[in-house]
Amino acid sequence: MFGYYVKLAFKSIKKNPLLSFLMVFAIALGIGASMTTITVNYLMSANPIPDKSEQLFYVQVDSWDPHNAFNDESGDPPNQLTWTDANNLFDAQKAVKQVLMAKSGGIVVPEDKNINPFEVQIRLSTADFFPMFDTPFLFGSGWDMAVDSKLEQVVVLTKKINDKIFGGENSVGRNITLAGQNFKVVGVLDSWEPVPKFYDVNNGAFDEVEDVFVPFKLKETLELPSWGNVNCWKSPDSEGFKAFLRSECINFQMWVQLDNQEQQSDYLMFLDNYVSEQKSLGRFPRPMNNKVSDVMTWMENQQVVEDDAKMMMWMSFMFLIVCLLNTVGLLLAKFIGKSSEIGLRRAIGASKGQVFQQHIIESATIGLLGGIAGLLLALLGLKGIESLYGDFVKNLISLDFTMAATGLLIALLSSVLAGLYPTWRACNIQPATQLKSQ
Amino acid sequence: MLELGPIFRALLRNKIGAILIAVQIAFTMAIIVNAVFIIYDRSQQTKRPSGIDEANTFFISSSGFGDDFDIKGTITQDLEAIRALPGVIDAIQINAIPISGSGSSMGLQTKPGAEHDGTGVAVYMVDEHGIKALDLELIAGENFAKSDIRWRGPAGSKWPAKVIVTEAMAKRLFPDLSYSEAVGKTVYINDVEPMIITGIIDKLQAPWVGWDNLDNAMLSPEKMEFQSTRYLIRTVPGMRDQLMKTVEELLAENKSRVVDGMRSIDYVRERSYRGNTAMIKILTTVIVTLTIVTSLGIVGLASFSVNRRKKQIGIRRALGATKADILSYFMVENFLISASGVVLGAVLTVALNMLLVSALSIPPLDWFYILAGMLVLCLVGQAAVFGPAKKATEIAPATATRTV
Amino acid sequence: MLTMTNVKKVFRTDLVETHALRDFNLQVDEGEFVAVTGPSGSGKTTFLNIAGMLETFNEGTYQLDGEDVSHLNDNQRSKLRNEKIGFIFQSYNLIPDLSLFDNVDVPLRYRGFDAKERKKRIEESLDIVGLANRMKHLPSQLSGGQQQRVAIARALAGNPRFLLADEPTGNLDSAMAQSVMELLKEINKKGTTIVMVTHDPQLATQATRNIFVKDGQVSEINDVVAMHVANG
Repeated sequence: MFGYYVKLAFKSIKKNPLLSFLMVFAIALGIGASMTTITVNYLMSANPIPDKSEQLFYVQVDSWDPHNAFNDESGDPPNQLTWTDANNLFDAQKAVKQVLMAKSGGIVVPEDKNINPFEVQIRLSTADFFPMFDTPFLFGSGWDMAVDSKLEQVVVLTKKINDKIFGGENSVGRNITLAGQNFKVVGVLDSWEPVPKFYDVNNGAFDEVEDVFVPFKLKETLELPSWGNVNCWKSPDSEGFKAFLRSECINFQMWVQLDNQEQQSDYLMFLDNYVSEQKSLGRFPRPMNNKVSDVMTWMENQQVVEDDAKMMMWMSFMFLIVCLLNTVGLLLAKFIGKSSEIGLRRAIGASKGQVFQQHIIESATIGLLGGIAGLLLALLGLKGIESLYGDFVKNLISLDFTMAATGLLIALLSSVLAGLYPTWRACNIQPATQLKSQ
Repeated sequence: MLELGPIFRALLRNKIGAILIAVQIAFTMAIIVNAVFIIYDRSQQTKRPSGIDEANTFFISSSGFGDDFDIKGTITQDLEAIRALPGVIDAIQINAIPISGSGSSMGLQTKPGAEHDGTGVAVYMVDEHGIKALDLELIAGENFAKSDIRWRGPAGSKWPAKVIVTEAMAKRLFPDLSYSEAVGKTVYINDVEPMIITGIIDKLQAPWVGWDNLDNAMLSPEKMEFQSTRYLIRTVPGMRDQLMKTVEELLAENKSRVVDGMRSIDYVRERSYRGNTAMIKILTTVIVTLTIVTSLGIVGLASFSVNRRKKQIGIRRALGATKADILSYFMVENFLISASGVVLGAVLTVALNMLLVSALSIPPLDWFYILAGMLVLCLVGQAAVFGPAKKATEIAPATATRTV
Repeated sequence: MLTMTNVKKVFRTDLVETHALRDFNLQVDEGEFVAVTGPSGSGKTTFLNIAGMLETFNEGTYQLDGEDVSHLNDNQRSKLRNEKIGFIFQSYNLIPDLSLFDNVDVPLRYRGFDAKERKKRIEESLDIVGLANRMKHLPSQLSGGQQQRVAIARALAGNPRFLLADEPTGNLDSAMAQSVMELLKEINKKGTTIVMVTHDPQLATQATRNIFVKDGQVSEINDVVAMHVANG
């Protein structure tokens, strides 16, 4: 029977090509618009590290100005750490794993004189960056903790930079000149683009991963510049790089791995103790306000999903509603237009249920056609978004299988929903009245 | 000849079709009116002038490497060489580019001490050529003298004794004074370090276009002894593109540095406001497609209703209705539906706007947008129904005597 | 009153020409009650459509109330139809969405009467057909005979000189048909000229004159009284 109804549905669609086209077109537009915005929002709010997102925590302590909160609205502590606090918290090694990081930059002078010197973005980090964030390696590996404390000059390259300097060869063990210093390559990352770039969202949540990774503590010895956001509530006490590191300026981030509730509360306790200790040394003038946030909480706190994206999504849902109302109206017109045919079917023995099935299948068929066309429109829409926003969204515009399936499901569900009332009206057409001449 | 009463009563007997169109019009109106408002708001934002000579200005970065790189000497030489190029109006070293998205800010306050609040201000470190290179107008006080300019070290944190601020900043600091009276006043940076306001400039925007204090900017008389630095060059009209090439080649002659990041201010503006431009384009597309969808829906339902009422139309014609009467019947019917739709639409529009205001940084809607939206959607409805209504007038009066 | 001279009506399709009326000649005088009979396809309905200016014709002249209507445009014909002619159809042709009141109101609206005048006329004409107490009802709430009475009320409301009736009793049983006929005769007695198309000879005999149409031409005109005499 199902096959018969599908056949009838296609017949009926062909019989009124204009009306059918209008309905498919309306659903396709609604689905296309919604899928485009849902995809962008879905990718913006995606969990970049699903296996560990509940064990990784971003660390905040309130080292800010006694007279002004860091964030007046939320009362949240500062979103980064001072050099002093970052190092103290790291050196205590109270978490299962911990990583310090910061953004920096420098000039690479390749040995190959054919390649001009160029500037790279540096991610300063400690050894656990790689195991904590599950970075994939093409060659070699990260460095171990001893390297951090011994201030060895090692570097992990991204695939892009390895391709540029070494033509994609295994460069482990070779040297590069970075920021005027000699660095030994210990590893090359495979392609790795977490979306959002969760480990440092306050410097561009959808930016690319930095070009090279260098041990964090080299910042001090090599006086590597501070890139990314620097915020100070008071200026360093004196001039110079050392004074900057000793100051209350924040430019550093810390993540810790805490595997269970107990470890989390222990860690918060440790933070409180640390702040109390610092208070006795005359720092931390504000009330105690320490926080650890897991990955998704931190993404939400940092409002990684752009307001514009949210607004577009709401508007596209309303757009979908308009398209569905349109479809309800057109289906109603179509089914009532078929009154005499339905009356005839009823007269020769079709039950209400059978008439219902026939028409709900017709609605679903239209929905499915609209859904497929809608997905194509969504692909077009995402291309459009890419061309409008440029590089910023290049990680936000891929339509994966889940999204495609979701799109079809939404189209199917909404068209069946749209078909309910017209179908109900169709079932209630009395066989007798339709057979009498009007 | 209006026949509102009977049309209305007839409509009530075919509620669902009418309600569907009315609700559709209401949602369409809510989206369109809010979209138009956002488009207007964003395009106003995008049009704000930065205060500099955008069409004829570009900038370029230079990063020296190696221990023997002579920072001060290179900067001095570079500026001399660039300023000497024909077609260059002026050139400066600068720490940040207006409306570019990155730069630094400080707080200025009128009383010393950490307990007083400062007003956020974007900091531009420039020498005595700053005003000319940025195409600013000095509306009070005087420019920096060459002797005022000092060198700031790589991690320098102290501030010079003089400062030039924008008119907007002067008014924020001294709301009770005219801007020219602010000249000579002492303000404090870093809570306690005094700076004397020696000049007021008309307009200069901060680097961050989304910042609340966008028009608060200050010029600090400094050159920067940084490995990485940036030059801003203003040219005579029409010479910019040519000079971009010349300047890049000139700087690249020095092999112990990397020259890159050369961009025009036009590019910076496009990039900084790309979100707005994109939003405007997307919303325009939404408005157009939505209007098409809704119009087609009205056309579809109206054609259906004309078809269903063929006989009735024939009867009316037989009873003496002219073509114009039939046309006006459908136009009036549609007007009644659209009118109830836009009334509901006004409510939905305000509701959507309230949602956008509360959840996102969208300003509240002006009332006349709602009125205009109501009018426009009624017109859209009338335009959409015109085709089917015109077709209805073609139905022959003799249809009445045909037994269907 | 109504004069058709050599009226010709041709329907053309790509393949064939159908002569619906050929050299149709007829005169109807004021106050007559004319019944038009004939086999189906003879041109009865075409005649009625042309008489009621629902259709145009190809050749000949048609004078209504002394006015040549051959060259009137669509709007002028609508106006004339509205003022001079009342229609009664076989399937009543009431507008299902409108109440009895609003149905009778339809031609009056097009006439441009003011609200008070319309109300008066609607009530009067519904009163004549005996349905004044059901003004708010919908057509679907009435029997066929009652619906036809409403249609007659609608035709009468504008005070037309002419009533054109197309098988007015075709959908009714004989008792109801007779009561509708009585109503029409009564209206005729008050001075309204009636032309009625019917295929029922029994009803035709109740008119004052019978016209037999065949192959698009008037083939026979009988004075009803004479026929009665012949039969008697």
